[in-house]
Formats: sequence, C-alpha cells, structure tokens
Amino acid sequence: MRKLIEFRNIVKTFDGQVVLKGVNLNIYENEFVTLLGPSGCGKTTLLRILGGFLEQDEGTVIFDGQCIDKVPPYRREINTVFQRYALFPHLNVYENIAFGLRIKKTGEDIIRQKVSRMLSLVNLEGYEKRKVTKLSGGQQQRVAIARALVNEPNVLLLDEPLGALDLKLRKEMQRELKRIQQEVGITFIYVTHDQEEALTMSDKIVVMNAGEIKQIGTPLEIYNEPVNAYVARFIGESNIVDGIMKEDYKVRLDDKNYECVDFGFRPDEPVDVLIRPEDIAIVSPGKGVMRGEVKSAIFKGVHYELMVETKTGVTKTVEMHVVTQHDKENPQAGEKISANDFFVDAEDLTEKEMTDADFVRIANAQAWDADNRDISLTKVTHNIENKPGVYEITFSTEKGTAVTVKVNVVSPEYVEDARHNIGISALDFFITAEEIQESMAISTDLKTWASAEAWNLQDDTSVEITDVKFDFDPATVTEGTYKITFATQGREYKVETTACHEVGDRVGLSFGPEDIHVMHKEVADA
Amino acid sequence: MKSFFRMSYPYILWIGFFIVAPMFMILLYAVTKGGNNTLTFHFTLENFGRFFSDPDFMRVLWTSLRIAFITTVVCILIGYPAALFIANLSERKQTMMILLMTLPMWINMLLKTYAWRGILMNFDDLSSEIKVFIGMVYDFLPYMIIQIHTAIAKLDRELLTASYDLGANKWQSFLKVTLPLSVPGIISGVTLVFLPAVSSFVIPKLLGGGNYVLIGTLIENYFLVAGDWNFGSAISLIMALIIIAAMYVTRKIDRGAEE
Repeated sequence: MRKLIEFRNIVKTFDGQVVLKGVNLNIYENEFVTLLGPSGCGKTTLLRILGGFLEQDEGTVIFDGQCIDKVPPYRREINTVFQRYALFPHLNVYENIAFGLRIKKTGEDIIRQKVSRMLSLVNLEGYEKRKVTKLSGGQQQRVAIARALVNEPNVLLLDEPLGALDLKLRKEMQRELKRIQQEVGITFIYVTHDQEEALTMSDKIVVMNAGEIKQIGTPLEIYNEPVNAYVARFIGESNIVDGIMKEDYKVRLDDKNYECVDFGFRPDEPVDVLIRPEDIAIVSPGKGVMRGEVKSAIFKGVHYELMVETKTGVTKTVEMHVVTQHDKENPQAGEKISANDFFVDAEDLTEKEMTDADFVRIANAQAWDADNRDISLTKVTHNIENKPGVYEITFSTEKGTAVTVKVNVVSPEYVEDARHNIGISALDFFITAEEIQESMAISTDLKTWASAEAWNLQDDTSVEITDVKFDFDPATVTEGTYKITFATQGREYKVETTACHEVGDRVGLSFGPEDIHVMHKEVADA
Repeated sequence: MKSFFRMSYPYILWIGFFIVAPMFMILLYAVTKGGNNTLTFHFTLENFGRFFSDPDFMRVLWTSLRIAFITTVVCILIGYPAALFIANLSERKQTMMILLMTLPMWINMLLKTYAWRGILMNFDDLSSEIKVFIGMVYDFLPYMIIQIHTAIAKLDRELLTASYDLGANKWQSFLKVTLPLSVPGIISGVTLVFLPAVSSFVIPKLLGGGNYVLIGTLIENYFLVAGDWNFGSAISLIMALIIIAAMYVTRKIDRGAEE
C-alpha cells in the first residue's frame, strides 16, 4: 500500500493549552483509519488540521508526497463529513450534493449523472427534490456523505458522524459506511469516541489520549494486545489487576503465581494484568484457578455480567442499638423535645473539633411546638472530656425545654489491614425504629449513623465503603441490638457467562495462560 | 391558559380604541362626502375618482414610490457590506458597532432632519430630490443594517467551512451560501425601509423645499391645511392598499427564498 498522508510531529495549542503534543502518524491508501479517544484528546483537532481548517503550531502534513501546510482547504483533495452535517438549508438534496460539482463548473448532464449515482450509493433515490431540513438524522447523514464523496476525493474525513443518531440507526450506518468505503475504495479517516464503532469498521485504530497517540494497530491487536491499562480500559470490558512479573511466563496475582504467555519484563517488575471478562469461565467451587462469591449479576441480553469477589476487603463490625425514643414535653411552653444517646470517637473530639452543631446532628436532637413546627435548639451544655467514659449532654430551647442524653466517648477503634493498605473505622450507635423505617437509602444512612469511614494508610485519602451487611428488615425492625458490618472493595472480577448464577453463590473461576495479558505500567506524565 | 388570555384584555382594548376605530373612521371618511352629521352619511367614490383622474396626483404618487424604491436599493447597497463587516468582528466589537449604529435612532427624527437641512443649505448645487435621498438614506440605513446583520450573525459558521471543504473559495462561498441565506434579513430590512420611506413627510418637507411634494406631504396638507378630511382619508387609504400589496409581494419573495 502506498503512503498517502504523513503527520510529522504535529503540535497544536489553544490559548496555552497543548492539544496535540507532537503527533506522528502515517495513513495509507484505501485504509479505514479510526482516531479513537475520549473528548478533548485532540482527535478532531488532528482531523481539522488535515482538512485545512486549523493550522498547526509546529510540524508538517505531507499529502501524496507534498507538503500541504500552505494549501487552503478549498484546494485540498479532501472532503469532510461534519459532525452536525452542515448541510445547506437553502438547497434541496440534489443541489446540496451538486454543490462541489457546480463550483468546478461541471456540465449539467454530468452533474445529473454523478448526483444520481451518489444517491443510489447512499440509498436515497427519489429524494432529489426534498428539503434537507425535512430529512431525518440518518438521511441528512447520507446526504452529507454523498455531498462529500461526489467530488471523488482521495480521502474522506468523518468527524463523529454518527454521534447524533440512535443506537439502531448507528449500527445500520456503521455497516453502511464500511460498505461505501469498500465500494469507492478511498481512504476514510474516522473520528470517534465510541470503541465499538472503531472495532466494527476500522482497518486500523489509532488510540489517542491527551494529545498523544497511545497505540496504533488493527482492531484485533488493540483488543488482544493493548499496550497499557489505558488502552485496555478504553477498548472493551476489562479486569485490570496489579501484578508482579516474577520471571518470563510467570506472573504473580494476589499472592499466587500464574502461568502466562508474556515475556521480556524485568524480574519482579510491577505490571498491569488484563483478563477479559469473556475469557473467564465459571466452574464449580474448588475447581479452576480462583474461587469467589458472586456479588452481583446483571442480565445483558445474550449473557450475564457477574461480579465475583475473590478476596474480601477490609471489614469492621459495629452494634446498632434500636431504642424507643421518648419525647420530653414542656407543657408551660407547649414544646416537645427529643434526642438519642450516642457514641463518639475520642480522637474525633479533638481532631475534628466537634461543635455543638455536630452533637445536635449525631444525637438527632430536635424540638417542635404544638403545631409541629421545628424550633431551634439554642443551648447545648455538656461535660464531655477527651477520654473514654460516659458523659451527659443537654440540649435546650429558648423557652427552657431541655433533654439530657448519654454520650459514650470511646477510644479510637479501627481495623488496619497492612496488606491492603487500608484502615476502616465505625462506631456503635443508638437509633429509633422510626428513623430506620423512614430511611430512603438504608446503606448510606447506616454509614452516616455509624460514622463509618475507610482510608488509605499511606496517603490518608478516603476509600469507598462498598458493602454494608446487616441482618434485619428495615421495614419491621424492633428494639434490640443488631450487628452491622462495613467493608471496602475486595478483589472483584467481572465475568461474562451465559449461565445464570445467584448473588451469594460460591463459584470457581477458570482461565488459561493465554487469557492473561501482561502490560507495562503506564508511565505517568511528567 | 385562561388567566393568560385575560392579561391581553388591556392590549385588545388599546388596539380597539386607537387602531381599529381610527382606521374604520378613515375608511368611513374616504367613502363619504363632506357635510356629514352623526346620523346621515353621503356615500360616494368621488374622492378616489378625483385622485386617479388628476395627473398631478398621479405624478406625486409615482415620485413617492420611486424615491422610496431608490432609497431602499441604496440602503441595501450600503447596508449589506456594512452588516457583513460587522458580523465578522469579534462578539464584543459587534455589540459595540450595533450600539453605534443605533445611537442616532435615539435622537428625534425632526431634530436630525433639521440638522441635515443646515448642512445641505451649503450645497445649493444639489437638487431637492438628492437632498431628500440623503436625508432618507441617513435615517433608514440603521434599520437595514440591523436586519441584515441579524440574519448573517445567526448563520452557522460550519456551513462556510463546509463550502470551503467542497472547493469553494471565499467569494464563491459568499455568493452561494452567505448571500442566499441572508435574504430573509434583506426582506425584513426592505419592509422596514420602504414603508416608512414611501409615506414620510417630514424629510421631503424640510429637505426638499416648499415645492417638492410627496404623497406624505399631500396627505398632511389635505388634513391640516385644506381641512378636506374626506379626500385626505382617501389618499391615505390608497397608500395603505399600495403598502399592503408591497408587503404581500415581499412576503411571497421571502417564502420563495426559503423553498
């Protein structure tokens, strides 16, 4: 194949923001090339530079052996299908397609011939006289393609042309575009952020991120052999876990060595390991190479998507005391007041500098008048000290209605897990049955009531508590003491399977050495 | 919805009293003779016959239409490039320029016309007609520029990019994309210039000198000087019909451009 386009070290900045950081890319004749990346990765900018609508700050674009940096867009043998089609609203379908030919002063009979050939290529015969503004999105799309292709360009640029179409039409147009490209046999350069579109249509995919090319390859190469975790995550579903390359063909995952087919890494090099969800088979527990518990199962049409936890996260169990709350009445003032006993972490008292407002919140203290209107608590007195023990706190209103509850100051109790590098803490708490019944999101509320939190031991950043386990029914809970367990995310594998499994099932996971793909850790940008 | 309608009652009342009723009275005056009282009307078409049979009146009508037409054409010729220039400036400069354009419109028209009279007095060589042209173009140009500018400014820039992409250079792109898509702006500009120009009486009176009579001056004379309300109303009605016809035609052209 002949090299048609060459980008040499293209740099482009907008308002000091670097959009392209020196892009080098070769594009050959008759290729369907897709520039794939998230919005803002520079793919559209690269396309616009090729079309001549933007000028690069540095670098050269070679087209058919010649530098085209100074060639204005209307002299480039390149046509574009624009994101929002940009059809001329004052012209009908026929005149829109004929636009380029009329500019070139083509004879009327030739125009008629070419336009009708284009209309049949895009399956729009009989639409000549229609107003373009009255066409559907898919039809406008076809007109835009015909309008560009009628000029017989060497290269067709397509800037996210299917973005505005619904899913079904998009799939249809994907096949259509591929057919058109094969039929006219010219280079298509296609910009999209949709990985599925890229996989379906392209001969070559260029994965971009933050103004750089991350990987160039065929759809199969990109899917099976992504160079790093970024590309792997962008294309298809993936499980990416930290691993250590012990030696060639042997990688260590979660304290267990696995055979693999990868080699050429430094001994003990930290790596990212990719296992595609469809490469993992579910087997009976005890068989396979891993075992775990099904955490969720989502029906996806053809298959189920299971999340299987092979290793639990860090957990902390607390006691919830469900109590009956007694409203205290102050008949003189016509007010009622209530509050709960509560637990508080001695360390929080000093470190978080807890204020009266915090105590009101934790004790769920509230006061109201005969008409059920809330009254503000103006005074909070307590004898709380910064050491474990039982203290008293009194909340009162302007008119002297007051309630006193117990405060249990406890020494900091948290679980540390050095291997996970995660700490977790939560406190026992008092709560009324009504509050549990009224809760709209019980797991979230339990976390709040127990002041549950988890954090990274190294950098102190917070870690999400993904699992709250309890054994009561929130709708019918009665007085008593209940155990609640909070847990952080363990190791989970996404598995695609056609067999149905219930949440909570114990299963084995099975995959072979060829299903493991080892990647170098992505080097963070300086 | 009902309460929303109720909010329009004052407006309907206003229209009834100050627009519909006077128009009905003009119609009534135009088809009657003088000497009416509240109970008896002498219906006649004499007033119209008098207008169309008198060559002097017809000449005045023709001159008025001609002057209004030429004023409109000149406003397009000056206004279009100006609007195009403004539309290509940065957003902030555009606002600034439009403000500058509209600034003279805040000043009373009579005052501006008097100022022109003072200026044009130094140019005795100019004919009355040229002086009237200058005054009219000066007064009505902003309306044309604003209308065309609005039409051009709302054009999708991507259409021009598409035009370049299809091989058209800047001039071709202007002729084939910008110009046809700004026709609605030109049409509304024409409506806003031609109609007031054809019935204007202050400008011809002040700038054209005493013997330069246009239809607006004529109507004014019959109402205020001669006191012949019936004939004045008839002329007004003829003017109104011509204007309605002109609006109908421009509307048609506008539709045609959209197809």
